Amino acid sequence: MAEPALRLRGICKRFGAVNAVDGVDLDVFAGEIHALVGENGAGKSTLAAIAYGAVRPDAGTIEAGGTVGLVHQHFQLIERLRVWENILLGREPRAGLRIDRVRARAIVRELSERHGLAVDPDALVETLPIGIKQRIELLRELVREPAVLLLDEPTAALAPSEIDAFFLNVKALAARGTAVLIVTHKLAEVMGYSARVTVMRSGKLVARFATADTSADAIARAMVGGEVPALAARAPTQLAPRLTVRDLRSGAGAGALGGVTFDVAAGEIVGIAGIEGNGQTLLADAIAGVVPYTGEIALDGRPLPSGMGPAQRLESGIRIIPQDRRHEALVLDWNIVDNVALGRQRDPPLRSGAVIDRAVAQRYAADVIERFDVRPPNPQAIAGALSGGNQQKIVVGRALAGTPRLVVAYQPTRGIDIGAATLVGSRLIEARNAGAAVLLISFELDEIFALADRVYVMYAGRFAAEFARSAIDRGRIGALMAGG
Amino acid sequence: MTGLSGALLALVTLTLVKATPLIYAALGGVLSERSGVVNIGLEGILTAGAFFAVVATAASGNPVVGVAAGVIAGALLAAILAFAATRLGVDQIVAGTGLNIVAIGGAAYGLVVVFGQPGASREVPNLGPAGETVLVILAFAIAAALWFALFRTPWGLHVRSCGENPRAAEIAGIDALRTRFWAVVIGGAIAALGGVYLSLAELDLYSDGMTAGRGYIALAAVIFGRWNPFGALGAALFFGFFAALQYSLQRAGIPSELMQALPYVAALVALTGFAGRVRAPAADGIPFEH
Repeated sequence: MAEPALRLRGICKRFGAVNAVDGVDLDVFAGEIHALVGENGAGKSTLAAIAYGAVRPDAGTIEAGGTVGLVHQHFQLIERLRVWENILLGREPRAGLRIDRVRARAIVRELSERHGLAVDPDALVETLPIGIKQRIELLRELVREPAVLLLDEPTAALAPSEIDAFFLNVKALAARGTAVLIVTHKLAEVMGYSARVTVMRSGKLVARFATADTSADAIARAMVGGEVPALAARAPTQLAPRLTVRDLRSGAGAGALGGVTFDVAAGEIVGIAGIEGNGQTLLADAIAGVVPYTGEIALDGRPLPSGMGPAQRLESGIRIIPQDRRHEALVLDWNIVDNVALGRQRDPPLRSGAVIDRAVAQRYAADVIERFDVRPPNPQAIAGALSGGNQQKIVVGRALAGTPRLVVAYQPTRGIDIGAATLVGSRLIEARNAGAAVLLISFELDEIFALADRVYVMYAGRFAAEFARSAIDRGRIGALMAGG
Repeated sequence: MTGLSGALLALVTLTLVKATPLIYAALGGVLSERSGVVNIGLEGILTAGAFFAVVATAASGNPVVGVAAGVIAGALLAAILAFAATRLGVDQIVAGTGLNIVAIGGAAYGLVVVFGQPGASREVPNLGPAGETVLVILAFAIAAALWFALFRTPWGLHVRSCGENPRAAEIAGIDALRTRFWAVVIGGAIAALGGVYLSLAELDLYSDGMTAGRGYIALAAVIFGRWNPFGALGAALFFGFFAALQYSLQRAGIPSELMQALPYVAALVALTGFAGRVRAPAADGIPFEH
């Protein structure tokens, strides 16, 4: 075989007492798509950061046959600058003192055409959908003509159709000789697009596979170091009317909610399948009471008028698992205790007279940590320092504490690994078994199919169809999601 | 008729006189905040500029030396803020407020040390009408130059990227802390010219409290001007106009206490009216750490 484009030998990196990366060797060759997989905290992102040069290893050598580019898991774009300014930041073409803007646009246009990644150089980034932003992230790296391209969880924010489009582009890049290393935990993508797979667990390299010779199950077993945990069993439940929604409308223009009617019974999980931007956000926000709406929402026969705020809705037993855990659910600078207490501060026994009972707050946090296996199991840990999976466990744990009547779960397993996702899914099923009504909104069909008792397909602000769990037709749902 | 046009001309002239220190301070603030550092210390920088301009003029007998000294003093004071805000990651509001206290107290003490008297310095040779005109025109020229630098040059793009998302700037190979540091220092030099104008153009001495909150009004002008040099220029002229109007109306016999509040009321109204519609640079005021 030829010389690898990226060659890592004996890489070690400690953070405090943790061996984040522990003696890893890795070769990535020009023209291949190589998947680096592992659970949260396995060290894969750290290894990518070391390969990129952003983190200095404690030991080991890195050899790269050219520039190394890295597309970050969390977009690193400047929202209020234009597309060309983002892509060419730090390498602007000059004409005397000023930036040669004509040439800058031309460079971006040429790059965009060469790679088949269509972007408007003059668009303001903040106005663009996530899929386009991902293209800009990619183009910003491609402008440096990298020999090695590292993609850290590149599809975490993308809709299914965008994911396919994204991988077509990545494949084309590899075909032109770029060595691509994808850091991910999505096994469907690994199986669909990679040539080789390297698995990490607890900082160590534990398995290597040629993708063609292995299976998603085998990779998953290597990732978790044993059998993959199964979802909690669905118990038969007594369905009783709980949430009724009639002709619910909110917002205007793209993403508006154009009149939906449905029920969610106590003891069932109703899934809303759809591509991002088809009214799901306003549906969740209307039920949460944070946007005005017309139409009817009622809980156990009691109407919830449009002006009724989130505090009263919380009190009536509605719990929200927001879409964006970092911005809408957690206060990242706070510890687990305070984050778990947030939203329950008005209710005894947490509120004792005018003050918060710290002992109760501690107990709440300890409950969530235990039920959800939060790591580290330290109530004083700062939320922002936890991995995405552990952050999500706190958000879901808070929502499911006590006996919620209705849980609105918006992408509850987005961007978290198998272990955490299975745990979150199991707890949602258990809440359903215990008689909660669960409304599950997701862009990922696998999540819907694993959890929902019934499925509505949402398109352009309305429901296109309804499927019972026994009658789910994956192909048909995929087509309806795209408006077909 | 001549009376009216004469009064109008006087009002325009007085507007320029009152606006010029605000323009400099606001432009300094725009540059600093565009890089992501809120400069609450503008008041202190105006004070330092005014004070050292007089000290150096008194020592040299040449007000041009005073201008240079004032600008250098402003830049150095800003460098302290910049160092605290970038390398030390100190809260920018705390650092800037500390800067104000140090500058204002230091100047009051300095009067006693240098001039042997509290309250005010002795009179020094000032820039005269020609020098004053140059300083007024220079304020407009710097506004234009700053706009060009921020929105047309690579350096400006780098400054703005640090104010919006310093991490993204670092990924693009820009040293965010260094960029912020120099933006604040250059901003301090520009703002100090406002203080120089106060002591060497509008007057010919330094007296305690002569900046009279202009640094804070300039911060309002930064916001009112939407973090744009021309916007800040317009906002400073707007506030300068109300300050000038206050003098004119005082002469007309309206109670002076009421009229003295006019520029500040104008600032409040402007901010409350516009605050909902403007957005600061996304990383403005947020320390960046690697």
